[in-house]
Amino acid sequence: MLLGRNGLFGRGLVAQERRLGLAFSLPATLVFLLVLAYPIFENFRASLLDLDLVGKNPAFVGLDNFAEIGRDANLWRSLGNTLIWTVGSLAGQLGLGLAAALLIDRPLPGMRWIRQLLLMPYVVPVIASALVWQWMLDGNYGIFSAQLQSWGMLPLGASPLGLESSSLATVIVINIWRGFPFAMLVYWAALQSIDQTQYEAAMVDGANAVQRFFHITLPNLASATLSLVAVRGLFTLMYFELIWLTTRGGPAGSSEVMATYLYKLIMGEFRLGYAAAIAVTVGLFILLVLALWRLGRRLAVKR
Amino acid sequence: MSASSLRPAGTRAWTPGKVVGNILGGLVTLALVLFAVFPQLWMLISSFRPPTELFISPPTLFPSAFTVEWYLEAFAGSNAFRWFGNSLIVAVATSLISCTVGTLAGYALSRFVYPGRKGFMLLLTSAYLFPAILLLMPLYLMLANYRLVGSLGAIVLAHLLITLPLSTWLMKSFVDAVPRELEEAALVDGCGPFRAFMKVTFPLLRTGLATTWLFSFILSWDEYLFAATLSNGQSATVPVGIASFVSSFDVRWGAIMALGTLVTVPVVVLFVFLQRYFEKGITAGGVKG
Repeated sequence: MLLGRNGLFGRGLVAQERRLGLAFSLPATLVFLLVLAYPIFENFRASLLDLDLVGKNPAFVGLDNFAEIGRDANLWRSLGNTLIWTVGSLAGQLGLGLAAALLIDRPLPGMRWIRQLLLMPYVVPVIASALVWQWMLDGNYGIFSAQLQSWGMLPLGASPLGLESSSLATVIVINIWRGFPFAMLVYWAALQSIDQTQYEAAMVDGANAVQRFFHITLPNLASATLSLVAVRGLFTLMYFELIWLTTRGGPAGSSEVMATYLYKLIMGEFRLGYAAAIAVTVGLFILLVLALWRLGRRLAVKR
Repeated sequence: MSASSLRPAGTRAWTPGKVVGNILGGLVTLALVLFAVFPQLWMLISSFRPPTELFISPPTLFPSAFTVEWYLEAFAGSNAFRWFGNSLIVAVATSLISCTVGTLAGYALSRFVYPGRKGFMLLLTSAYLFPAILLLMPLYLMLANYRLVGSLGAIVLAHLLITLPLSTWLMKSFVDAVPRELEEAALVDGCGPFRAFMKVTFPLLRTGLATTWLFSFILSWDEYLFAATLSNGQSATVPVGIASFVSSFDVRWGAIMALGTLVTVPVVVLFVFLQRYFEKGITAGGVKG
């Protein structure tokens, strides 16, 4: 493999290309080893230790940290919130994204500008979005809260972000607002690649608009939907910033998700060993889901 | 196949039903646009609103006067200049490194078969899919060990974790789109593979590089989690600075809205000029954020 004309040290074109491939991948490999592989390894190690920020010689505690996961009621509550948060955000983003994609997928003048405006929530930095929503929902001076209060849907002086009953639903709405443009673009691209002769054939056969939508448009969007669910689902599951910057998981843990809970364990309580054990568990769970996903796709392709 | 070749324009006649449908569609679109942009508009309006009109209940939609005093206060009462400088350094460094390293790696993945390619793909996919929050603690410990916490370099390194998988993936898809035959012609003419890359393919990657740079820059500019954890007061970026502004004073909404507007403006300007690259990047399927 190393010697000969096309070996790694050979002089043939194949050998030259192999060397170039290796050399070109090397910088990225080094970065990933440094910021991904090594931290993952350290994380595994930390999960077996009773580690905090000050302790110099952390004690080896075996699987104690993992055992604590089973007893931690707050963690389980945040897991439940995480599921609601993920499913709610995804359903809203994909639904609204599809509706928006259908609206912009018409050959009308000015559509480029409308698309640009509709993309804004996704473009604006999350810090700015989180703060302006907090401001609009402020219990005393917020424009949205004032409206909700005047309709009697909200107690006077209250913010929907500050009530245990509505905080999670409110951050989900904000996240739908922020994420729907992404789904819109993906669906829009998928809509444009649908072969128009399918519609023409259906119209010749007398299919109405509703039938055309359900029998042609939706089936053609299946693969876009699948990849949106996979990629955005995984991202939303552990999305930290929006919730942290609006409610910090509160009030009283009512909008606590795994990501904010983990952050508090690390940066607030410095319980690093336990946080590492949770991270290992979540990481392995994600790996399992991905493996099942690939297996499922392979079976689906074979059939 | 492009959209225009699929849809012959003007082949369908306008009927009354179509007109009503288009008007209804227009109204719904208008409502959706309002929903999408109202928060940004509100931020902008609030940042210029005099204090006497900012803190009244119920709030009014349109202010009767405009003031820039919130902007002055935001800069007088904080390290805002420093935050913007830090953010600029971090985002420029991250996006340049990410583009360079990502182009090389994307090119290698697209063109060459070499030992370790599969392992590299695995590393890349893991980096792309792995949630940042799960790496926060070990990354923090590692950087603290080398006394790097508090430096801008630490933030750049952490941001590479977010931008580099995306850059590599995007650049691979852009290299895939350049026909191999061009390089093969150069090879026949006696170029080595490296020169073929530099002279033939690289100049054709301008669109790809613009897209990749745009995403890397915006992701780094926006990022909060790593920047908050790995910075101290001196190395805070804009998102971190604004967030600390919220918790450390009585909440001064006018100044906060002014800073929020200022952190948004560069991103929106980039976006308006590079919209088609932005849309290309998302539909190329590499973005998760």
